[in-house]
Amino acid sequence: MQNTRTNRAGKWLAFLFLTIMGVIWIVPLLYGITSSFKTNIEMQSVGFRFLPINWVLSNYTKLLANTTNTPVFRWFLNSLVIACGTTLLVLCVVSLSAFAYSRLKFRGKNILFYGLLATMMFPPVMNLIPLYKIITTLGWANTDWAMIVPAATGVFNIFLVRQFMDNIPISYDEAARIDGASDWQIFFRVILPLIKPVLFVVALFTFTGSWNDFLWPSIVFSDLNKMPITPGLKLLQGMYAANIPTLMAGALVAIVPTLILYFFAQKYFLQSMALSVGVKG
Amino acid sequence: MRRLRSLVLALATILLAFVAVGCTSSRAQSDSKTIVFWNPFTGPDGTSMQKLVNEYNATKPEYPVKNISLTEGDMYAKIPTIVNSGRGIPDLQIVHVERIKDYVHNGILDTYDQYLSNYPNIKSSNYVQEAWNGGSYEGHRYGIPLDIHTFVMYYNKDLVAKYCPEALDDNIVTFDEIKAAGEKAKKDGITALGLTWWKPNYLSMLGQQGGELTKNGVDPTLNTEPAKNTLNFYKSLYAAGITSRDGQDPMQLFLTGKEIFHPEGIWMVNQIRESKIKFGLTNAPQVSADPKKMVNWSSSHQFVLLKQAKRNTAKTKATLKFINWVRTHSIHWAEAGQNPASQAITKNKAYQKMGQSFLLKSKTEQESLRIFDYRYNGYVADFLDRYALDPVFGKTSIEKYLKDMQSTVQDKIDAQITD
Amino acid sequence: MDSTTTHVAAGAKAQTRRKSSKPYLYLLPHLVIFTIFFLVPLVFGIYVSFTKWDLVRTPRFVGLQNYQTILFSNSTFHTQLVEGLRNTLWFVLISVPFCILVPLLLAVALNAKPKFGKFFQGLFYLPSLFSISAVVIVWTLIFNPNYGPLNSLFHLNQVWTGTQPWAWMTIVIVTIWWTIGGNMIIYQAALNGIPKDYYEAADIDGASSWEKFLHITLPSIRGQFLYTLVTTTIAQFNIYGQPLMMTNGGPNGSTSVLMMYIQQNAFGAGQSLAGLASAMAVVLGVCILIVSMIQFYFLRRDY
Repeated sequence: MQNTRTNRAGKWLAFLFLTIMGVIWIVPLLYGITSSFKTNIEMQSVGFRFLPINWVLSNYTKLLANTTNTPVFRWFLNSLVIACGTTLLVLCVVSLSAFAYSRLKFRGKNILFYGLLATMMFPPVMNLIPLYKIITTLGWANTDWAMIVPAATGVFNIFLVRQFMDNIPISYDEAARIDGASDWQIFFRVILPLIKPVLFVVALFTFTGSWNDFLWPSIVFSDLNKMPITPGLKLLQGMYAANIPTLMAGALVAIVPTLILYFFAQKYFLQSMALSVGVKG
Repeated sequence: MRRLRSLVLALATILLAFVAVGCTSSRAQSDSKTIVFWNPFTGPDGTSMQKLVNEYNATKPEYPVKNISLTEGDMYAKIPTIVNSGRGIPDLQIVHVERIKDYVHNGILDTYDQYLSNYPNIKSSNYVQEAWNGGSYEGHRYGIPLDIHTFVMYYNKDLVAKYCPEALDDNIVTFDEIKAAGEKAKKDGITALGLTWWKPNYLSMLGQQGGELTKNGVDPTLNTEPAKNTLNFYKSLYAAGITSRDGQDPMQLFLTGKEIFHPEGIWMVNQIRESKIKFGLTNAPQVSADPKKMVNWSSSHQFVLLKQAKRNTAKTKATLKFINWVRTHSIHWAEAGQNPASQAITKNKAYQKMGQSFLLKSKTEQESLRIFDYRYNGYVADFLDRYALDPVFGKTSIEKYLKDMQSTVQDKIDAQITD
Repeated sequence: MDSTTTHVAAGAKAQTRRKSSKPYLYLLPHLVIFTIFFLVPLVFGIYVSFTKWDLVRTPRFVGLQNYQTILFSNSTFHTQLVEGLRNTLWFVLISVPFCILVPLLLAVALNAKPKFGKFFQGLFYLPSLFSISAVVIVWTLIFNPNYGPLNSLFHLNQVWTGTQPWAWMTIVIVTIWWTIGGNMIIYQAALNGIPKDYYEAADIDGASSWEKFLHITLPSIRGQFLYTLVTTTIAQFNIYGQPLMMTNGGPNGSTSVLMMYIQQNAFGAGQSLAGLASAMAVVLGVCILIVSMIQFYFLRRDY
C-alpha cells in the first residue's frame, strides 16, 4: 500500500523535474524560432519580447535568396552528401575488417588487432596539422573526400562490430562451409545479415559525428560553395552579427531538417542508442 | 532487420542524387569562364559591390564576375590556407593595403607587372596618390586600389542640437565637447559616445598621441607612452559614464536615438540611413581642435591576385578588364559611402555632393587620413580585435595589455621562417 | 568467449590452408586508409613538433627548441600553452560532473515512467543532433544582454558572455544542453536492466528511496557510469566550438582553450607556425592520454 503511494509521489516528482528541465530545453529553440520572424528594426527597438509584433518572412526569403554569400541550402546539401558518404564508407570498411579479425585466421592477427586498438589512445589533435598537409598534397582540400576518407580510420567501430560478431556461433559458418560457401559468401550471406543491429549503431554514430564535426571542416574548407553547414554557420554568425533575426533564420534552416528526420525516426534512434550500450557495457 | 537495408539504400540514394546535382552545379561554379571575386564586404557596402558586379555582368563580358563576400576575420584566416591548398583559389581578391607587404614576403601574391601594359589607364595619375602607392612593393605592382575608406563619426542632429549645438561649428568634435555633452545628456539616459569597433578607434587615438606601430618597419613598438596615454584616455572616458557600456550594442543605441556620437566607418552609411534618424557625418573625435593635428584612421581596399600555380593569362587579362571597368564605374561604390580611389570618380559631380567627399576635398582633410602601414599589421589587428576593449572595461590592466600586445606580435615575428 | 575463439580457429584452419593471403584483402581498405590518414600523420606530427615549419617549405629540424619555447621560456607561446591548458582543464573540471549528473537525474526521472516520458526523452536527446554552430547561435540570443530574455525577465544588467564567471557558465550550459542526450540514453538502458526483485527485496527490508538509489541503483550501473565518464572527459578535452563562437576566447583570454591557440598558430592569418602548433598539440595529446589512462586504470580495477 505504502509502496504504491511513494510510487505515485515519485512519478509526480519525476514529472515536475522533467517539466522544469523540459522548459529549459525548449525555450531557446522557441525564442530562436519566434525571433526569426521579427524585423531587425523591431528587434533593436523593442528589445526582449517573446512573440514578434509583426510576423515577417523576409529573414528567410532574404537568406535563401542570397546564394552567393550565404548559400545555406547548399551547405546543408554538402553536409548531407558528406555524412552519407562517410557513413557508407565506414560501414563497408568496418564490416570487412571486423569479419577478418573475428572469423579468418592469418599471421599476426592478434598483434595487429591489439596494436590498432592501442593507437586509439593517441588523440586526433596530434595528427591534425600533418593530416591537413596530406589532404592538400592529394588535392583534396575543398572536396568532400577531405572529410569522408579520414573518418574511416577509426578503430573503435571495428572493435564494436568484432565483439558483436564473436557472439555469433561459429556453427553458422560451418554449416555454410559444408554447403561449399567461400569466405566471401559466408561474410555476405551469413554474417552481414546477422550484424545489422550493430551496423545500425555504427551508422548512427558516424552520421551524427560527421554532421557535427566543426574544427576539421573549418580547416579544410575555404571555398564557400563546398563547405558543410557547421563551418558555414560560423561564417553566417560573422556576417549577420548586426542582424539577429536573419542569423536565427539561418540557424533554424540548418536545424529544421534534422528535426523532421528525428521525429520520423525517433524510435530507431533511441533503440539503437540503447543497443549500443548493450554492446559496450 | 530490414531497416538497415533501407537505411543503406536511403543513404546511397541521397548521395547519388546530390552528387549528380552537385556535379552539374559545381561545374557551373568552377567554370573557367567565371572570375571568382572574394572580398570582405559583408556590411551595407556589400549590396553596393553586388550592384556594381551585376552591372558589369550585364555588359555581357566574356568572363563574368562572381562576387563572394566573407567576414574580414574569416577571410584573412582563409587566404593563406586556400593559397597553400592550391584549390578553389579566387581569381580576384580584395585585401587591405596594410596586408600586402607581408603577403609578398610569404609568396601569397602574384604581380600585375606583365599585364599592365594592356591597360594603359591603370596608372598612377588616374588614382588618388596615397592609395596607388600602397599597392606597389619593392618595385612591383601587387595591388590596384578600389578606395580609401576612413573611420569617421556619425552624429544625431536632434541630440546635438539639444546638448551641444556648437560642437560642430568647426567640423572637429573634440573629446572635451563630447564630455560636456555627455554630462548634460546623462540624466536623460542618453549616451554621448559609442564605444564602437576598437581597432580604428585605438589607432586613431594612438596617432593623435604621436604613437606609431613601428619605428624601423620591422620591429613593433606597441608598448609605448602614447599607447599608454591612449588607453588611459579611453579608460577615463568610460569611467566618466558618458560612453556606451560593456555589452551594449552602440549601433542599436545610435539607431534608436539614444546616442549622440557614433564613430564608425564611412561604409556603414546605408545601414544608418535605413533607420530614418537625422544624422550627419564629421571627422573622427579628436583630442585637439587644431586641424593640423587631426588624425582619421584610414585604409585602402586593393584588388590583388592570389598566387596560382597555373595562372590563366586570358582570364587574368579579363580580370584586369573588370578592374579597369570599376575604375570608371565606382560611383556605385561611392553610393555605399566609400571614397573611391579613382580620379574619374573623385571629379564626378554626383560624388562631390556626397557626405563623405569632404575627406578628399581639402588638403587638411587629406593629410588627416592616416594609413597604419606596417608589414606585421595583421598581427596587431588580430590582437586588437581579440582583446578589444578589455583594459577600458577594467578586465585587465593597461600595463599587461600593452606588454602582451608587444610580446605577442614580437614573438610571432620571431617564430617565422625568414627567407 | 574462449570456446568461440577456438571454434573460429578450427573453422578457419581448412580455409587458410587453401589461400593464405586472402584474409589480408578484407583488412586492406582499412589498413591503407589507417596508414595514410592516421599513422603517417601521427608520426609526422610528432616529427614536425621538433621542426620549424610553415606548411609550405620543408620542415627544418630544430631539436627541442619548440618545446623549450612553449614549456620553459617566457614567450607568448608559453603563456598560450599555460593559459590554454589551464582553461581547458578548468572547463573539463566544471563541465564533466554536470554532463554525468544531469543525464543521470533525467534518466532516473524517466525511469519512474511519468506522463509524457517518451516526449521528454525525445526532447532531451534532440539537441545532440544539431551542429554546434547552430546551437551556439540560438543560445547567444538567450544570453544577449539587450535582446535576450535573461536580463529583461530578471531585471538584470549582466553581460553574460563578456564577464567571468558568467562566460564559463554560458559555455557549460550550452555544452550540457547540447551533449547530454547520449549519456542519458545509456543510463536509461542501464536502469532498465536492473532486475525488479532487487528493489522488492529492499522494500521488504524497509529501505528508503535514497538508500535504494545508493545501494542498488548506483552499483548496478557502475560499468556504464565509468564508460560515460571516460568518453565524456575525452570529448570535453577537445572543446573548441563553444568558446570560439560564444565568447571568442574572452573576456581577456580567460576562455581561450588550447585547441584555439593550436588552430590559430597553424591555420591563422599570417605565416603558419605549424612546428610550434604541433608541439602544443603533442602536449595536449599527452595530457589527454594521461588522464584517460588514469581513468582506464580505475575502470579496470573496478571490474
